[in-house]
Amino acid sequence: MRPFTYTKTEDTAQATSKLAANENAKYLAGGTNLLDLMKEDVERPDELVDIGLLDLTDIKETSTGVSLGAMAKNTETANHPLVRKNFPMLSLAILAGASGQIRNMATNGGNPNQRTRCAYFFDTAMPCNKREPGTGCGALEGQNHMHAIFGWNENCVAVHPSDMCIALAALDATVTIADGNGKTRTIPFTEYHRLPGDQPERDNNLERGELITSIEIPKNNFAKNSYYVKVRDRSSYAFALISVGAGLELQGKTIKNARIAMGGVAHKPWRAYEAEQFLKGKEATEENFEAAADAEMANAKTLEHNAFKVPLGKQAMVRALNVALSGEKV
Amino acid sequence: MAEITENMIKSKDNLGAPENRIEGFLKVTGKAKYAAEFSVPNVLYGFPVRSTIAAGTMTDIDTAEAEKAEGVVKVFTHKNAMKFNPAPDVESTNKMTMPKSVLNTTAINSFGQYIGFVVAETFEQARYAANLVKATYQETDPKIDFDKYVDTAYKPDNANGAATDTQRGSMEEGMSNASKTLDITYQTPIEVHNPMEPHATIAVFEGDALTVYDATQMLGPSKVAISNTFNIPQEKIRVLAPYIGGGFGSKLRAWDHVMLTIMAAKMLDKPVKTAITRQMMQTNAGLRQLNRQHMRIGTSTDGKLTAMSHEVMTHTAVDEVFVEQAGFITRTMYDTPNQLVTHRVFDTNIQVPTWMRAPGETPGSFALECTMDEMADQLQMDPIAFRIKNEPKTNPLDGKPFSSRSLVQCMQVGADKFGWSKRKQEPRQNTKDNWLVGYGMAAASRAAPYQESSSRVKLSYGDDGLEAVIEMAATDIGTGTYTIIAQTAANCLDIPVDRVAVNIGDSDLPATPGSGGSWGAGSFTSAVDAVCEKAKSALKNKITSDSSALTTADELMKAAKLTEFEMEATEGPSEDSKKYAHFSYGAHFVEVWVDEDLGMVKIPRVLSTSAVGTVLNQKTARSQVVGGIVWGIGQAMTEETTLDKRYGSYVTRTFADYHVPVNLDVGDIEVHFIPEEDEHINRMGVKGIGELGITSVAAAIANAIYNATGKRMRTLPITPAKLVDYEKQPVA
Repeated sequence: MRPFTYTKTEDTAQATSKLAANENAKYLAGGTNLLDLMKEDVERPDELVDIGLLDLTDIKETSTGVSLGAMAKNTETANHPLVRKNFPMLSLAILAGASGQIRNMATNGGNPNQRTRCAYFFDTAMPCNKREPGTGCGALEGQNHMHAIFGWNENCVAVHPSDMCIALAALDATVTIADGNGKTRTIPFTEYHRLPGDQPERDNNLERGELITSIEIPKNNFAKNSYYVKVRDRSSYAFALISVGAGLELQGKTIKNARIAMGGVAHKPWRAYEAEQFLKGKEATEENFEAAADAEMANAKTLEHNAFKVPLGKQAMVRALNVALSGEKV
Repeated sequence: MAEITENMIKSKDNLGAPENRIEGFLKVTGKAKYAAEFSVPNVLYGFPVRSTIAAGTMTDIDTAEAEKAEGVVKVFTHKNAMKFNPAPDVESTNKMTMPKSVLNTTAINSFGQYIGFVVAETFEQARYAANLVKATYQETDPKIDFDKYVDTAYKPDNANGAATDTQRGSMEEGMSNASKTLDITYQTPIEVHNPMEPHATIAVFEGDALTVYDATQMLGPSKVAISNTFNIPQEKIRVLAPYIGGGFGSKLRAWDHVMLTIMAAKMLDKPVKTAITRQMMQTNAGLRQLNRQHMRIGTSTDGKLTAMSHEVMTHTAVDEVFVEQAGFITRTMYDTPNQLVTHRVFDTNIQVPTWMRAPGETPGSFALECTMDEMADQLQMDPIAFRIKNEPKTNPLDGKPFSSRSLVQCMQVGADKFGWSKRKQEPRQNTKDNWLVGYGMAAASRAAPYQESSSRVKLSYGDDGLEAVIEMAATDIGTGTYTIIAQTAANCLDIPVDRVAVNIGDSDLPATPGSGGSWGAGSFTSAVDAVCEKAKSALKNKITSDSSALTTADELMKAAKLTEFEMEATEGPSEDSKKYAHFSYGAHFVEVWVDEDLGMVKIPRVLSTSAVGTVLNQKTARSQVVGGIVWGIGQAMTEETTLDKRYGSYVTRTFADYHVPVNLDVGDIEVHFIPEEDEHINRMGVKGIGELGITSVAAAIANAIYNATGKRMRTLPITPAKLVDYEKQPVA
């Protein structure tokens, strides 16, 4: 590990100003991803600002919904009564990720900022535009069974690894961000992460010095009919091959609104707008679920080893919608 | 997870009792020291530098920046490494003892090959400086892609010591006489051992005497390998390994990090400690090679085998040949008049393969036992009845009688306990919610080698009475060696187990064959029993009065008027034992649930029967079988090392990518030992158990998946991608 300085602060403004002042500084929250990357020599900060003590741990009801503090732990969030009652999909998604030990350390603000688990990104002997812009994408013509089927280009085929973020994207959450000048801004969660474009080194739209302070989830009518399906290479403690978060707002048998997001398919949480659009106003039937999934998967572009994600993605989406429809409780 | 079954076996008096591990308290309180945990004054820390290409020549290596880094003492490369001159008469075919020079070449043969070694004051300093070493290369196209280089295959000299090829009768005749035939190819992937404890070595020179703390399964052979490599007399070398956190074959050889550490300690005249990383354990500590296995089988209409062939294709390293004997199990399992078993290999820029738990049988049993299931299905015959129909009377390989073979009982008892009769032969008959439910079985066999071992007993009196110390250069790689040695001695000497102290893990103690090949338990305890009996006989000879009524060691010591006594003995295979073929047998029964839409499989239940001769300790023996089954689940469902065909780099670099099974992958496991007495193998009647548990588990799972789905999964591991993408899988 490269030498670095370490400071701890209880003050958000102080933390953001430290990051604004040093482009090689990083926030340290749960450390469940950053420390691994530092040991691998992928992340090379010369300064760590420990933000674990920031007073941003509240999970509370607001006039518009529920606010998740950035420093609240994933475990606490998943098990919080407000989350379980109002957004069971989020609870399921968080609990489908990582392991108990990691969720106990990981924070809500850190989770969206975790890096891809693409093996080429982690191996400094390999080319990777995300780690070292201009070196090429190792996975594009390499081993890519974990990689993207939507939104990728030749610069990068990596996928976003979080489960929590898939549910947040489906639930139309917003991200509240503080900058180094005492100002805050809010952006939709679906616009927080980026597709690779020509800057695959950028995972998200956070600017230098900025810090997520909370994530807001608006009230909705999906709680009764929602589900999160995750398919992976072992039963637990593995990243998604495919995951689908689905919520239905029903009026009788008719789908008033659908919210669907997919994980393991793109450089960002993938909102399945095509499928949502197809389902709006239609009857909640298996045939319509299949047609909706087909509509979404029609845009998939596969790589050498991930063609299975097209049938699997469809079947996982249909399963998520079916279970959501059944209203089975978490 | 599973119940402990109550079929206690006491074939040797009180042996077999499920004693807790005698060293368990030390382990759970952190007092049991593993190699890297020994505290040596003034120790320096080594960290290897690895190549970032798989094939070519290193044109230069720049250490200037690393040498300037804080705490760095020395950076070794081929430019300043010791010049190794192994004695020319040293036998180099024994991989455990052959000399192994390090940093003496610029040739790069595999990705991650050690090209440098940084020694610093702390581990973190050494690791950081290793990143600062910059090598330049003349690259060549690495040979990685199996299909691209398979045509360069040749016939190796042997298959892990077994015959490369064997033939009986004529396959062509046997196949043309058959009324049912199958011709199928199976494939098992590269796997890595990944023991819990990473490899670690500390080397300490005091004058010309060398002490090595090492994570090794083999004390004696490691000592010889070090002696051969550095031209240090064996009597000047002491290897210590009191506790080892799993071996599985990866700690049978002294890998390069051992030699790097000793070289640095010698050249710097300071103790050096090296603990390799999990990433290095994928690239530098051996692997199980990919085995492509072509099976042909022919039977009569009533299920008698007329022919069977098992042709294995695999890969080795460009600079060293190791061929796993994957076809071996087919030579000994079933009776067939016509048989062909071959092994072919080709060179690749992938590190040299090595022994991994049940080498040969683990991949071989997958092909053999799936083939048997596929044929039973063709014949519309129960898979157990089909196997019994082809049960051999003597070992088909050499005609020797079996010292014991309880395979039929294993299958029948297992079937009964599992509820096999409820299985429907036709697939896709059983559902539960979204799941297809299936049942599968497979028969298991593992060679049961037994080897010569020595042991010393020291008798003395303590507060509670007679006490014994057993000393031998044995290793406990987590299997329970300490405990079964204590139980064996206690049994023979008629004293409680807690009055036996066990001193092992030190190469200065009486020699043993170490832990490997499932021979440890039989070899160690036979030597212990022999030395205790020898001590009692010797005591008897010292008694001048009538000693005929005296039986216990305590009585004999008192009659001989002794308060201390010591004896050493060596015990090995008898002439009688050599007349027999020695194998352990078992059967696995598996229930699977398959979600076809999502390609997901649950394994709620595995039931296994094992016939292994004397069971020395019900608890540790059961743990061995359970551990084997868990790894069998990994082999079947999750474990695979993948390499990038262009770079030869490992895509599965860490535990995040190399998926060992987790708790949720493992359901109930039920283990039953079939009572069995083997009068021929050794004086304890102990056959191997450590490797039997994994053998054929993957086949039983794949057979159950077929029963659930009608899909034959012939390429491991059976991932969601393969189940969802079934039509693209290789089919017969």
